Parts: sequence; structure tokens; C-alpha cells
Amino acid sequence: MYVLQQLVNGICQGSIYALMAIGYALIFGVVGLVTFTYGEIIMLGAFSAFYYFIVFGDNLILSLLCGFVVAGLVGIVVHKVCYQRFLDAPRYISLIATIGMSMFIKNLAIIVFGSTMKGLPLFFEGQNLVIAERTIDGVRQQLSLTYLQVVVIVTVVVLSIALTLFLNKTRIGMRLRAVSQDRKAAALVGVNVKNTTLLGNCIGCGFGGIAGILLGLYYNSIIPTMGGVAGLKAFSAVVIGGLSNIAGAAIGGISIGIVENLGIAFIPNGSGYRDVYAFLFLIIALVIKPEGLFSRRTGTV
Amino acid sequence: MILKIENLVVNYGYISALRGISIEVDAGEVVTLIGGNGAGKTTTLMSISGLTKIDSGTISYHGQDMSSLNSDKIVKMGIAHVPEGRNIFPKLSVEENLKMGCVSQSRISNTVIQERLAQQYQLFPRLRERRKQMGGTLSGGEQQMLAIGRGLMSDPELLMLDEPSLGLAPIIIDEIFELISGIKNETDKTVLLIEQNAVMALGVADRGYVLQNGEIVLSGTGEELLHDEDVRKAYLGG
Repeated sequence: MYVLQQLVNGICQGSIYALMAIGYALIFGVVGLVTFTYGEIIMLGAFSAFYYFIVFGDNLILSLLCGFVVAGLVGIVVHKVCYQRFLDAPRYISLIATIGMSMFIKNLAIIVFGSTMKGLPLFFEGQNLVIAERTIDGVRQQLSLTYLQVVVIVTVVVLSIALTLFLNKTRIGMRLRAVSQDRKAAALVGVNVKNTTLLGNCIGCGFGGIAGILLGLYYNSIIPTMGGVAGLKAFSAVVIGGLSNIAGAAIGGISIGIVENLGIAFIPNGSGYRDVYAFLFLIIALVIKPEGLFSRRTGTV
Repeated sequence: MILKIENLVVNYGYISALRGISIEVDAGEVVTLIGGNGAGKTTTLMSISGLTKIDSGTISYHGQDMSSLNSDKIVKMGIAHVPEGRNIFPKLSVEENLKMGCVSQSRISNTVIQERLAQQYQLFPRLRERRKQMGGTLSGGEQQMLAIGRGLMSDPELLMLDEPSLGLAPIIIDEIFELISGIKNETDKTVLLIEQNAVMALGVADRGYVLQNGEIVLSGTGEELLHDEDVRKAYLGG
């Protein structure tokens, strides 16, 4: 029962990672480059919700929307500063620019928000959805989901379906996919590659922002430096999923969440090594299948 | 005349790709640019499409200067560019690839899109059979047909083809050239064709230009160039 419960927790936490990874994969697809600013985008999403709750009160759905918009707007700034100016320059210049941007945002956040940990309001405190229950030797065991976990999973599932429909069924979505597959061909058929890249980057960052809020709610704590590990985990999930493959990224995220929580369950006093399990999993996955677990071909973006 | 290029100069860093070429294309013509590797043929088309920075010279279309326009605006003016190496979207289906061809026309209705799809499927029955398949799974010849079909989806006035015969089996090359002469004879579209296969290109073209090291060394009707002594020596194997 304990292990099952950890599995459920893992899936829930993994779905937050999945959301981050989906956003990351989208950005990687349209921009064609790894970004190092994504962790800070996640952090800013979480902080935007923190201030939203203070100013406008506890409305969960509107705060998620706020996180999406704020992160998306920061995405525009990142795009203008790190990508647009260096379109004709060697690609690594943009890459280094995102590292600099990441440091800048993180330190600015420490100055503006303060370096201490902050808590988000508790939603649905103590309310559980019991899935299964049994009694062994007079000890009652429960397999349950907190309402917050349900909200997290539902949010991630809804957003994933919405993005899939958007990418596959709309003309703009088709342009995004076209740009991520072949920028030159997209330009030649008349796609405004610059604006499409900007839009993809915005949506990807917006997903990161929402994931940041969910992460903050889940741990009930946010801190300006939270972006580092979060960004790395998003990146790991995307790498495991085979880069720019959105479904793969989601599965990669969920598997990282599961591995973390099972690691905590099976290794005594292992809860302090949460991140170790995640990155160990990344290394093992890369050793077994360097092109990503869900990528059929290498070298394509 | 619809397309006029004057004294076009393009440099890639220290290397000059085009050293001041001038080309004119009249409505309804098939014009070909022939020349060896590195002569500047592809660069010429890339400049017209706005994918390469121009160092000096002008490109005008229907008298309107377009040397500073972005490629999406140029497509809107009625120019379609089928690139060398085809550049199919590998993970879009054949039908989605075709639909991408008219992405520049934002107000186009679904009925028009369906009509144009039907036209392409009539031209290339093999694409209809494979319309649900991913673009990346097609054979080289099929990809070339798809690339041409995608170009035609925008119903362009000027169709630019870059090495459509590259890497294809002779029987497919024949098919492609049959198609080009079909476009020439049955529609009022203008074609600007780049080819290394000079015999076939000059056979179908009204006029041709011979490019060498970024300069035009010869021009004339397809017939004249086919029988020109220098051209025969350089490109047609004596």
C-alpha cells in the first residue's frame, strides 16, 4: 500500500514535470536551441501567483492564467534579447545569452522578492479522495489522493490535450509544427518564421509558468532559486523523451516523478536524495538509449 | 516582364557568390539558369525569395522593388520556391505538407484549399495514395513531387524550381520534366528553372542564362544555347 501510494504521488509530481517538459520541448522545437532560462521562467510563474493571491485573493484558476500570461511575457523578453538579435550569429551565442539571462533574472528576483522562502496559500487542506482502503492487524491503510493532487493532474491533462488539439487542428498550430521541422521550408511557403517562433516560445514559457505555480502549491513553498533544479528536471525529462517530441517529453516527466518517489520509498532515509534519483535516472536512460527513450530517429529536430 | 534582376551582388563573408548578374523573366515564359556547382544558381533563387542578404543590386517584381522584403511577403506576391533538396516537412502528413503551401494566404477558404488539393492529386496520383503518410517516409521522387505540389498550392504566378532532378532516377526525371512542360503549355504560369541537367532544361525552356563563377557568361533562347559550341563543351559533354 505504501509503495502504491508513493507511485500515485510520483505520477502526480511527475505530471508537474511533464507540464514543464512539454513547454520546454515546444520551445526547443521552434527555437531549435536548448534554453537555460526556463527554470527562471518556472520560478517567475510561481511568484506571479504568490503576488496574485496577495492582491486579488485566492482564485486558483485565475492565478494559473496569471502565471501563463506573466511567463509568456517574460518569454517575449527572452526571445527579443537572446534569440532575435542573434539570428545570423553562430547558435552558441544565443545559448550563452540564455545562461546570462538566467543569472540576471534569478538575481533580480532575489533583490525584488527577497531571498527567503515564501509559502503559497493552502488549497483544499486536509481533504482527501480515498481510492482504496484496507485494515491489516487493526492498522488502517489508505491509498488516497489529496484534492490538490487531483487539481494538479487535471490541470496538466487538460493543458496537454488543449495543446495537442491546438498543434494538430489549427492553422497556427500547423505553422508551429512546420517551423519546428524545417525553418527554411516554412519560410519558403510563406510562414512568418520570426513571429511563429516568438509565439511558440511564448506558449512554451506560459506552460512553464503554470508548472511553476503547481510546483509551488505542491510543496507549498517558493524561493527565487527554485528555478535551477526545476529547469534541469524539465531538461532531463525532455532529453529522456527524445527532444522536441512533446508526447515523449510528457512521459519523460512522469517517469522522473515516479522514479523520485519510488526512490524515496525504497531507500531508507532516502528522502534527501530526491534529485539524485532523478538525475541518476537520466544518466541510466542516456546510457541505454542515447537518442532518448521515445525517439525513433537520431539527428532530427 | 514580371521579374527583373539588376546587377545583383551577394557575398558570403569573403566569398562572392554573385558578382552583378542581371536577369529578366517575362510572363508565361520558362527560363532556365544553368551552370556548374558553385556558379551561383541557388543563391540567385534564395535572393529572390528573401532568404539571403543582398549586398547590392535590385530585384523587382511587377516593377515593385522587393530586395528588402521578408520571405513571407514575397510568397504573398505570388512567387513559390521549390528548394533544392526539397525540404519536405518530415513529420507532417502529405496532405498537411500540401496545405502548408497555401499558408501565406490567410483568408483562403476551405473549399479553395480542397479544390487545389484535388488539382495536385490529379497531377500526382501517387500523392493521393500516400496522403496520410508522413512526408519523411516518401521516396526521393515522391518527395520532389510533393515539394512541387506544395509550391503549386499557393497558385503562384512565378514558380521557381531548384534542381528538381537532383538525385532522382532517370524515369522520374522524365516525369518531372513532362510536368514542367505541362505547366508551360497548359497554364499561364511562369517558371524559373535551375538545373545541372542542361540538356533537359534547355529542351523545355524558352530562354536560358549560363552562370559561371557568379557571372552570366551567355544568354539566349533554349535552342540557341543547346547548339552553342561553348555550352556544349562545358555542360553537354561536347
